[in-house]
Amino acid sequence: MKIAIVGGGPGGYVAAIRAAQLGAEVTLIEKENLGGTCLNKGCIPTKVLLHTSERIEEIKNDYDKIGIEVCEAKLDWAKLQERKEKIVKNLTGGVGSLLRKNKVTRITGEGEFKNKNQLRVKTEHGTSVTVDFDYAVIASGSRPVVPPLPGTDLPGVITSDEALCLGEVPRSMVIIGGGVIGAEFAAAYSALGCRITIVEMLPKIVANMDQDIVKSLKEKFIKKGIEIHTSTKVESISRTSAGLLINTSSVEGKRFFEAEKVLLSIGRRPATDGLGLENTGVKTERGSIAVERNMRTNVSNIYAIGDCIGGIMLAHVASAEGIAAVESIMGKKTAIDFKTVPYCVYTKPELAGVGLTEEQAKSEGYDVKIGVFPMYGNGKAVIECETEGLVKYIADNDTGEILGMHMAGPRATDLIVEGALAIRLEATIDEIISTIHAHPTISEALQEAARAVHDNPIHI
Amino acid sequence: MAEFIVMPKMGLTMTEGTISNWRKQEGDTIKKGEIIFDVETDKLTNEFDSKADGVLRKILVKSGTVPVLAPVAIVGDKDEDISTLLNQAAASTEAENASEKQIQEAQIGQLKTPIAEKGGRVKVTPRAKKVAKELGVDISSVPGTGSEGSVTEQDVRNYAKKNESEKKKTSPVASITAERLGVDINKIEKSSRIMKKDVVKYKLSEELEKYANPQEFRKPMSTMRKVISQRMLESKRVSPTVTYNIKVDTSAVKQIREDIKEETKVSYNDILIKIVSEVLLEYPLLNSSVDDNEIIIRNYVNMGFAVALNEGLIVPVVKYANVKGLNEISAKAKELAEKARSNGLTPDDLNGGTFTISNVGMYGVESFTPIINQPQVAILGVNAINEEAVVVNGEIKIKPMMGLSLTADHRVIDGAVAAEFLSKLKKYIEKPGLLLL
Repeated sequence: MKIAIVGGGPGGYVAAIRAAQLGAEVTLIEKENLGGTCLNKGCIPTKVLLHTSERIEEIKNDYDKIGIEVCEAKLDWAKLQERKEKIVKNLTGGVGSLLRKNKVTRITGEGEFKNKNQLRVKTEHGTSVTVDFDYAVIASGSRPVVPPLPGTDLPGVITSDEALCLGEVPRSMVIIGGGVIGAEFAAAYSALGCRITIVEMLPKIVANMDQDIVKSLKEKFIKKGIEIHTSTKVESISRTSAGLLINTSSVEGKRFFEAEKVLLSIGRRPATDGLGLENTGVKTERGSIAVERNMRTNVSNIYAIGDCIGGIMLAHVASAEGIAAVESIMGKKTAIDFKTVPYCVYTKPELAGVGLTEEQAKSEGYDVKIGVFPMYGNGKAVIECETEGLVKYIADNDTGEILGMHMAGPRATDLIVEGALAIRLEATIDEIISTIHAHPTISEALQEAARAVHDNPIHI
Repeated sequence: MAEFIVMPKMGLTMTEGTISNWRKQEGDTIKKGEIIFDVETDKLTNEFDSKADGVLRKILVKSGTVPVLAPVAIVGDKDEDISTLLNQAAASTEAENASEKQIQEAQIGQLKTPIAEKGGRVKVTPRAKKVAKELGVDISSVPGTGSEGSVTEQDVRNYAKKNESEKKKTSPVASITAERLGVDINKIEKSSRIMKKDVVKYKLSEELEKYANPQEFRKPMSTMRKVISQRMLESKRVSPTVTYNIKVDTSAVKQIREDIKEETKVSYNDILIKIVSEVLLEYPLLNSSVDDNEIIIRNYVNMGFAVALNEGLIVPVVKYANVKGLNEISAKAKELAEKARSNGLTPDDLNGGTFTISNVGMYGVESFTPIINQPQVAILGVNAINEEAVVVNGEIKIKPMMGLSLTADHRVIDGAVAAEFLSKLKKYIEKPGLLLL
């Protein structure tokens, strides 16, 4: 069985390794570095920036409280950039050796389908290689969307790609789009001393998550001096002596903002051009490759996974889809339980959610019962000076089934796995309550939130 | 005084009998002469009437075949101790089953069949009984491995352990949902963890079943149905058949009916009987019968034609159709069909057929595979007449085409003969004037 995988991101390389484990002869085609957006321009490098920015904030705000006197804490931007590069290189190198270990053939170059069983790869040396395959998995990823606005081509108008490797921390930045990416860059650059303004067209920021936890973040942002303008539309970007002028409008009228940089973070779109899909007959719908439940496209031996199929553009979803696709190719029956996809925002407080939000659960017709526990009631959170946030369990009033778990607070992105597992196993709120949670830990707040569903939390 | 009821010996040659139905249940009072069960032998079904008064205490053989004089039940007084008889019965069935059981064990690889089902009784050690009670195990479903198949303590423990491991893995939400919906979770067939959606799905299918309210009824076969059933089966067993299909232009036959309409009204079937009878004389093998190693050839045709009745099917015979004129055939066929419908056929009307025509054309059927009416060797199925586009001399004509399906017994009729017969038949139907020669 010969499987060709187009794209070496968290969807493609995971699919490659899984396919090799199952005995396939795998060729992975990637035009740039392994690891895709996630490792090179997304999850990993942003978290490197966020890590440093959080530490700096801590030193400034919390260290005197906890008994550490700091004479001078200064950001070394160049060193941070260097560290970021090193970590990325380290991790992509790791992916490379994993592929070698699993005997996956790697070709560096741009893959283009010649037909349903062949890919032509233009390699970095300018030569062309033909790859024959029985099955192909397209994992070509996505790109940031540049909105059709006047002025987006001006210098200083950037996307997340460039925001990761600026020469210095800008004095001010307007972030267009208050979703997950916008929020994370706002948190990172604000802590490093940049004045941030978020302009969001929707009535709320981070609109896909439960608004009770988003509220914790919003309050923290405002406290840090980040300006948030929701229900506000950007009309155009132009130049001024100070940098860039952002022309917006809302029901309250026109409003102008000035900033050194403008970050466009309104979303990402599938990257499917240049793949030669027209030579295979693979169908796309508004730029996304259309797939069935098992990730197969309309062409029976071609599968597609990850960002290029649209839907939920998350690395861990791409990986799960990659595994499902190759397992399906290799004759296993695998189904993805999308109910258990966790959503994470690596701000401070961290946000994480899994399952239905309160709003979604209600609109699906559930008689919901909510349990909320605030972080300030948790001993460990108090010790760590991180009392912002809360844990929220959403249960079905009839059966006690856990429909969703949402959290703002320390290590929320790690702790969300409790909710994901509970949903996967169809646990009821009573199983969370009867599971002993260690003391003293942040996780106690989860148990208390579960108790709060029955209106009997202990520590509040 | 308690005694055995045994399998009766109802004839000199009878060696075993099959109990097909108990008219009485355990605990019922029975009187001498009262029918208590039905016995079937290879020849007939008999009712068994009680030779004693008393209470039917134990049915040893619920159904199935046993040798004559084997105990099948115990009759006695209401509170009488029948343990001695029970032990004797168990011992005898044990011995009976021993060889059979060994084979079964070898096949299944393990003792799966509960002994209670076998018509004996469960032998249980006292320890086993106690442990079964403690563990809540139904002792009658525990396979025994002790002496004479008795159930030991270990058997009960093994059984309980196995049951435990087979218990369904169920998500908490699924359990609660099942409780809310009144679904018995053990009824859900699934090897992996039972989730909420499985319960909901099961409930929906249960609801559907409730709504559909499926019911089955049984009724005894009528004599006619029994005869048809046996004869069809017999025919399939005896005759290696081939069915040949051909299409025939019926324009000429239609014309004949038209032409003689003023004089007499005949059906397509009457005309077919006439023509087929003529052709059969030219192909006597199709009109023959097989008797052991001999073939019976005839110089006459007794034409059977199938008449559908409410309760079945009957095939009256137009005798010596080969020498009868169309009018005579038509009149006879009409008379026989009438008699068939009014239940007035005599054995003479039904005997002696040498060939059969079965017409299903009125239902629009275009082809089928009729079954031969034994001891005949061929049957002609007649299908619907449909207007069809036919190419004649390079031109498209619309013709009333009829399909004929001939089933022939290959023991005597080879393909070439059958095909030739059919093609001759086609020729005569399409050009009936040839019959005048």
